[in-house]
Amino acid sequence: MARPVLEVERLCKSFGGVAAVDRVSLALEPGRIYGLIGPNGSGKTTLFNCITGIERRDVGSTRFNGVRIDGLKPYEIARQGIGRTFQLIRVFPELTALENLLVVTRGSLAGAEARALELLRFVKLDGLKHEYAGNLSYGQQKLVEFVRVLMRDPSLILLDEPAAGVNRTLLNDLLEAVRRLRDDGKTVLLVEHDMKVVMGLCETVFVLDHGEKIAEGPPGVIQADERVIEAYFGR
Amino acid sequence: MNVAITPAMLGQVVVSGILAGALYAMVALGLALIFGVMRVINIAHGPLLMLGAYTTFFIYQALGLNPYLTVPITMLVLFILGALLQRTLVYRVVDAPELSSLLLTFGISIALVNLAQLAFTSNLRTVEYVTGSYTLGPLAFSKSRLIAFVVAAALAGLVFLFLQRTRLGKAIRATSQSREVAMVCGVDVQRIHRITFGIAAALAGAGGALVSVIVAIQPEMGQIWTFKSFLVIVLGGAGNYPGALLGGVLLGLVEQLASLFLTTQLSEAVAYILLVLILLVRPTGLLGGRQT
Repeated sequence: MARPVLEVERLCKSFGGVAAVDRVSLALEPGRIYGLIGPNGSGKTTLFNCITGIERRDVGSTRFNGVRIDGLKPYEIARQGIGRTFQLIRVFPELTALENLLVVTRGSLAGAEARALELLRFVKLDGLKHEYAGNLSYGQQKLVEFVRVLMRDPSLILLDEPAAGVNRTLLNDLLEAVRRLRDDGKTVLLVEHDMKVVMGLCETVFVLDHGEKIAEGPPGVIQADERVIEAYFGR
Repeated sequence: MNVAITPAMLGQVVVSGILAGALYAMVALGLALIFGVMRVINIAHGPLLMLGAYTTFFIYQALGLNPYLTVPITMLVLFILGALLQRTLVYRVVDAPELSSLLLTFGISIALVNLAQLAFTSNLRTVEYVTGSYTLGPLAFSKSRLIAFVVAAALAGLVFLFLQRTRLGKAIRATSQSREVAMVCGVDVQRIHRITFGIAAALAGAGGALVSVIVAIQPEMGQIWTFKSFLVIVLGGAGNYPGALLGGVLLGLVEQLASLFLTTQLSEAVAYILLVLILLVRPTGLLGGRQT
């Protein structure tokens, strides 16, 4: 087994006595696509927030390439090479598509601009680079957010519901892009409600329920797991 | 008040209003920046202007330096002071309820005024450097106000260019639109906040330097500027930077026009009445607030 890119160990986070994430442990190996599923309120986004430093974990640890990152500030974690998108699209509406990408600073300005233009071309948005992101369509904003994550060339990418509200064509493009990232050796962890997407894309799936990890395994096994079915449909 | 109002008088009032307006706009731009980026209303903005005026006065007194040449020095001093205030005090209330930040900056404001009284006494100080006016036909342009207009407009323009063109400027705008996403993009938001407060204080300081040549300097000269800047950003739409420029010029014009048509006492009240009216009729400002 290759050394994990990300190791989360017994991570806990509670809000006012309610455990949103409860002793969750998981390890992600490089070059693989992982899924994170669970009913609403099961702690998926909170886990993302803890990994990226937006929320401070109560107990537990997170290691990125073997180095502790829990306790670091969000921008420090981002600069180490963890990128993420949000459940509801979060572009900077009053920045142009190009400027949205340039907020991510890395290397020289000229280098950053070249990379940003290349990424916009990659998602066929180079014609709209000077348009305010707030004026773009939902799908286009989603693409801007997606390539913004790629600006820093992160080795771990967290995607919060990439398929939500996206049409078929765009979805296929996005999934294709995710596979290509995986082939480049990047690790992807995605939260997704669309089971077809999860089952078709992910090699390993983690299931959360009430903040606890209740199952982990290949999609086929997870689908048949009794605890998972119970968590989704009740007894 | 039986004097007939001639076109020349009206023209003069418009000129004076626009000259004053650019200064209002530049100072208010600082307040708008802090509000836009941190959602903090900085009551201490005017007292920072007062400190800027004193900085210029002391440099002028000690070195005999042209007061306009002190503008960059004063701005630097105030930038450092602003960044320090953010680092030690204001960062604590950025995420707190609005009342906390109002109370804190109100406290800073009182402290700065009283410290100034202690250190500099309440004696009126003046920087007499340029007096008189240029005349153009029937219009008179006060030299000190004309220079203040030019410098203020240039500085406001520079700040806009900085926000639009530079990486740091983009990071400031990104942070004001979504702090959380900026963090995830690798922006050190705390640093951006310190720089923002520093720039805002520097703009107030520049205002103080320019005003020091026009009016007498004393520790309580600043508070009215907090109010006027607040009015300007309410006029233009809170957090809307171009709106702050429009609001500044509008306030200058309204004040001058009021002084032409109304008694002195009433014209002093016009700005306040305007604030109440705008808040009643169009609370998001003339150009509307931020979209986000």
